[in-house]
Amino acid sequence: MEFDLHEDDAAFRRDLEAFLHEALPEDWEARSADGPGSEAQAAFSREFCARLAERGWLTPHWPREHGGGDASAWRHALLGELLWSVGEPRGPQYMNVNWIGPAIMQYGSEEQKALHLPRISAGDVLWCQGFSEPEAGSDLVALRTLALRDGDDYVVNGTKIWTSYVNHADYCFLLVRSDPESTRHRGISVLLVPMDTPGIEVREIPSVVGERYFHEVFLRDVRVPVSCRLGPEHEGWGVVSYALQYERVGAARYARAARTLDALAERARSRGQLGDPTVQEKLGEARAQCEAARVLTWRVIDQRAHDLPPSADTNVARVAGTRAEQAVARLALELFGTEALSHGSFADSQFRLAMTAGVAVGATEVQLNLVAQRFLGLPRE
Amino acid sequence: MDFEPDAEQTEIQQAIDALLERHAGPARAIQLAAHAGYDQPLEDALHEAGFLGLATAGAGPLEAGLLVESAARAGAVASVAAAALVAPGLEWASLPRPIALADASEAGPVRFAAHARTLLLRDGDQALAMRLAEGDAAPVRSEYGYPMGALPTRSLDGEPLAAGSGATLLRWWRVALALEIAGTCDGALAITTAYLKDRRQFGRAIGSFQAVQHRLAECAIAIEGVRWLAREAAYHGAPDEAAAVSAAEAARVAQLVFAETHQLSGAIGYTREHDLHVFSMRLQTLRLELGGVGAHRRAVATSRFGAGAARG
Repeated sequence: MEFDLHEDDAAFRRDLEAFLHEALPEDWEARSADGPGSEAQAAFSREFCARLAERGWLTPHWPREHGGGDASAWRHALLGELLWSVGEPRGPQYMNVNWIGPAIMQYGSEEQKALHLPRISAGDVLWCQGFSEPEAGSDLVALRTLALRDGDDYVVNGTKIWTSYVNHADYCFLLVRSDPESTRHRGISVLLVPMDTPGIEVREIPSVVGERYFHEVFLRDVRVPVSCRLGPEHEGWGVVSYALQYERVGAARYARAARTLDALAERARSRGQLGDPTVQEKLGEARAQCEAARVLTWRVIDQRAHDLPPSADTNVARVAGTRAEQAVARLALELFGTEALSHGSFADSQFRLAMTAGVAVGATEVQLNLVAQRFLGLPRE
Repeated sequence: MDFEPDAEQTEIQQAIDALLERHAGPARAIQLAAHAGYDQPLEDALHEAGFLGLATAGAGPLEAGLLVESAARAGAVASVAAAALVAPGLEWASLPRPIALADASEAGPVRFAAHARTLLLRDGDQALAMRLAEGDAAPVRSEYGYPMGALPTRSLDGEPLAAGSGATLLRWWRVALALEIAGTCDGALAITTAYLKDRRQFGRAIGSFQAVQHRLAECAIAIEGVRWLAREAAYHGAPDEAAAVSAAEAARVAQLVFAETHQLSGAIGYTREHDLHVFSMRLQTLRLELGGVGAHRRAVATSRFGAGAARG
């Protein structure tokens, strides 16, 4: 047990900071205010990720044969932490490198690997995830989008909902029920679907979180070649479980919360609030929660670096991260008072971006169930 | 960076656990509490085994911190944190034991003072080591988990450290508090978890109800945060911000775990026959020391954001 950052990793972080200083445009704070799925960020991500890729920094932790640098899980985690802390200039592409690419490496055919991995590691492709459905949210295995075999194709019909990034996406990582007789975990398959396939219709769901944040995706007689299926037929749940282990701590939202908190403290200083003991206590409380989330996430990264099997520590870190993000968001409003209510104010942007923290990528209640049962060993029934 | 213990740390931890298994535990704590006793045999055993010198001899403050956490988890009635972590942090390793920690700005009873031979006193920006004779610190009756004593009213012979030593004492004390809270919460959580698996109402184990599970899960998550923050802070030598962060989070979590473990344990949790109180009542003492959660949080703001002079 020791807590020193490896010298190579520390040097890498310094290099990356210097690069970001140069690579992010002057109006970056405004451009990134609406989160990684916004038009501005999705567009910028293609330029930015290509530059990261040139330096080998888009997929440093991938194996060399797939365009990576064979770096440790730490390298990738530090990269994600720093990029999230500045508002995630990779845009939606953080998903590609965190879990979509690794899932394709693990389960993909040679043809799929050859098609997708070079594009992901070059930084010029956007993906979305087709998971949730109107009747399958936290209970994802209730999904019923049907994919029926017809010769060499699947014919897909159904509806996906709450989909982010879909309006820019080139591909969808789509969960379907391939065995119509099946229920629950059995009979699910994963399809890698080009978004320009006929029969896909995308509609925005207007929300208070932000513009173009959520969408509904209607799939009507969408023909997807069987060669687009990732992993064994009807056994897609194993693929998803593998992918989700990466996803739950993949987005270092606590790092963004910590950076937001620093910015809040700066603003409090310029408003003459920093001498107020109440303000100090609120800032200190939120900072402590951000730090707890960081160290618990690092614990998971360390387990990954040791090649240990996924554990409930992932869920522990996930909940801590959510709590930290929520604490900072609440504080943003409280520090600014009613000034925060103006659309587009700093506090407003931070607060609405953080609103989804407890729901996105698995509701907090589901995480708590897993902690209770797997970490504490409490009985299910 | 490596969160897994290495071979040497595993060996140290196993030896610590074996010693605590023999000498400490809730039953021993309850027995001593009946007459506000102090576990001198335990402290002597820890000393003879070399564990109180872990911070300086061979290992380091992280290993000393693991001892502090483990002793708290075992409900040890001995001033382990002061001897193993705080005094060595001040490079003051050979003070007469037991050592009690006191803050001159606090008026209340002091843990272990009635049995201590040294009072390590924080007085503003200075730290002083005062010799205590038997009877200097009168015992104070308290239900809050430790044998307590009143700060002596007569002036004591004290050996002051240089100006600024008060801040050093404060940093290490904060880290020690966080480690003690992590271990003490572990004790409270383990007892409560076992009870919830065992206790049946409405025809099922009450630990199977989701409303109950979520509350205990929140406690577990919070405790893990404190543990790793505190270990990391100890490893890095108790830097200002990390020390304040770990104490601030620990003081918050101490109250959460106190409230939830008692609520979920029902009436049996209040009794002296059930072990919960050995740990839970201590959490109140720990979360109040050094000005409590508010003072720790202001200290975080001061060191992180340069907020105006926060009273420590």
